[in-house]
Amino acid sequence: MREDRHVVSVRALPDKLDDSELIERSLSDPESFASLFDRHAEEIHRYAARRLGPELADDVTGEVFLAAFRGRARYDRTWPDARPWLYGIATKVVAQHRRAERRRNHALSRVSAERPGTFDERSADRVTAEQLQPRLARALTRLSAAERDLLLLVAWADLTYEEAAVALRVPVGTVRSRLHRLRVKLRRALGGANPFAEESQHG
Amino acid sequence: MDDEIRAFADGRPAAPPYSQDARARARDRLLREARGHGGLRRPRLGWQAAAAFGITVTLVGGVAVALTGDRQGPDAATSVSQAGVSFPELDPKPGQFILVESDTMYGSHAIREGGETRHLYRTHRKIWQSVDGSADGLLLIEGREPKPYPGEKDLPQDAANWRGSSWTLLNSCSQPKGPYRDDFAYLSTLPTEPAAMRGHLYQGDPGPSPKGDADVRAFQDAVEILREGYLPKAQRAALYEAIKSIDGVVETPGVADSAGRRGVALGRTWAQTGLHEEIIFDPETRMMLGERATVADGRTAKAPVGAVVAHTAQLKVSVVDELPEAPAGTARSDCMPAPTESPTPPPTAPPSDAQATAPPSEAPASARPSTPLSDAPDAPRPTDAPAEGPADAPVEEPVEGPAEGPAGGSAQASGSPAPSAPSADVTDGPAPGAAPPGAPVS
Repeated sequence: MREDRHVVSVRALPDKLDDSELIERSLSDPESFASLFDRHAEEIHRYAARRLGPELADDVTGEVFLAAFRGRARYDRTWPDARPWLYGIATKVVAQHRRAERRRNHALSRVSAERPGTFDERSADRVTAEQLQPRLARALTRLSAAERDLLLLVAWADLTYEEAAVALRVPVGTVRSRLHRLRVKLRRALGGANPFAEESQHG
Repeated sequence: MDDEIRAFADGRPAAPPYSQDARARARDRLLREARGHGGLRRPRLGWQAAAAFGITVTLVGGVAVALTGDRQGPDAATSVSQAGVSFPELDPKPGQFILVESDTMYGSHAIREGGETRHLYRTHRKIWQSVDGSADGLLLIEGREPKPYPGEKDLPQDAANWRGSSWTLLNSCSQPKGPYRDDFAYLSTLPTEPAAMRGHLYQGDPGPSPKGDADVRAFQDAVEILREGYLPKAQRAALYEAIKSIDGVVETPGVADSAGRRGVALGRTWAQTGLHEEIIFDPETRMMLGERATVADGRTAKAPVGAVVAHTAQLKVSVVDELPEAPAGTARSDCMPAPTESPTPPPTAPPSDAQATAPPSEAPASARPSTPLSDAPDAPRPTDAPAEGPADAPVEEPVEGPAEGPAGGSAQASGSPAPSAPSADVTDGPAPGAAPPGAPVS
């Protein structure tokens, strides 16, 4: 007997199922979870690539969907859109690569420092479209990991506050108050008038 | 969005395209997992297909000790001892393997053009697992004749190909297993007090759910711990009480496993599936005898109320020194992707209010003891998560359906003689290494 004899075709899976229904379906028909991958893998990959760079994005995307599959029984089916859940998982997977992220941000932040005289962020941004602007990268290095997670879920993943709260498993009020602090911090970091102390905050 | 955040939104770096190759690899990997060829998670033919019946099989016994339990099933194994007979605890040592033999019957669901087809597929399983997770294990699955799904007359076409057997080498994997550990050495470190064990079951990632899936998850985690595993006596007792304390769990005496052995069941009804799922325990030893799922809500489950749609029996548990020789060409299971206990150092940033709330990504992974089925590797539970109300608390509707006849496992079951003298492998005393004080007491 082959284990995959129970494997079933998902080609007939109705496209009209929302994510929640799809995940529920996958409890009895695990392979149908692939449809969730088809729907959201590109987006999760983009997010991973932005945070960690293209080298790690492939692995991270795969890890996110494996973890999602394994945890699918816990999906809150009152949420028809699985994106916040997937981004929450992605956030945790990214966290495993925090060192890589720090290296990336530090490296990017140095770009400008090495040629301070000619630095023009806008043109530099256009030239190196795949790179984060140095000043933004620098600001990121001055945020705590939790602050960075929240900021980038809102700014890069386009999650609403409510969705970010779901992704991070905190009340939406907590998201609001954290974002408020974040803005103050960023204002200083981006404004450059009172940059943060240069100490590395997270080793 | 304010200017500061807008600056990041506008300045987001372009992302490289997801290459077709990488995408296909990730998708294939996911499908392999879905087919039960996943990594550390034991390939568990049928667990995935078992609708929501998140339970499977268990064990018992010394080297040749059969499970206890009142035998009242019509085809009960002939040599099963009575409940309450003293049970020689196993004393697995590093380097050894725990062998668990079981019969399983779960639902298989397939979606086809013509709609969904279902049947009950059955297997006999033998799984050898390294006591401390350091060595590869082995899994043998033999097909057994399937049954039509309750309420349906015929077997679907995909049920026909059940004959044969398959071997899988269970990869020990080099990377840390983190929350996915399920070896005896690890299980021996679980709490021995019911309250602490309950805390362990609930400490996992609460998920995005504000709706009280925590109980479901705790129950499933407990099942994951029990299924095809072996826990020291103290942990078994604590786990039983912890499960019993889960909201919605009901205790039902006299429930038979698929080999006809009766024990006490702890069960819970899933609103989503309309099934009442039970773990059946030996009343004395708290060894898991088996699992059962019965239809509680016929409309949701689309099957007659009381019908049994999953039934297993963990026939025998023993300790062996070596693996049998697997056939040449036996496939080795994959490993999980990333290490789950990453070396991420704890944050050293000055604590702010925000950080004091312990966001999920911030706490050190090592702070979180492992929990199977976590939806992500290192997710500590946020301390300020919204209170989870049992908004969709399941309807408690234990169904005392007639136990189905033993799923053809009598040959195996009867192969288990009455409790024999403990072998040299079975001795008293704490397990080596990881066992906490007082863990395995016989």
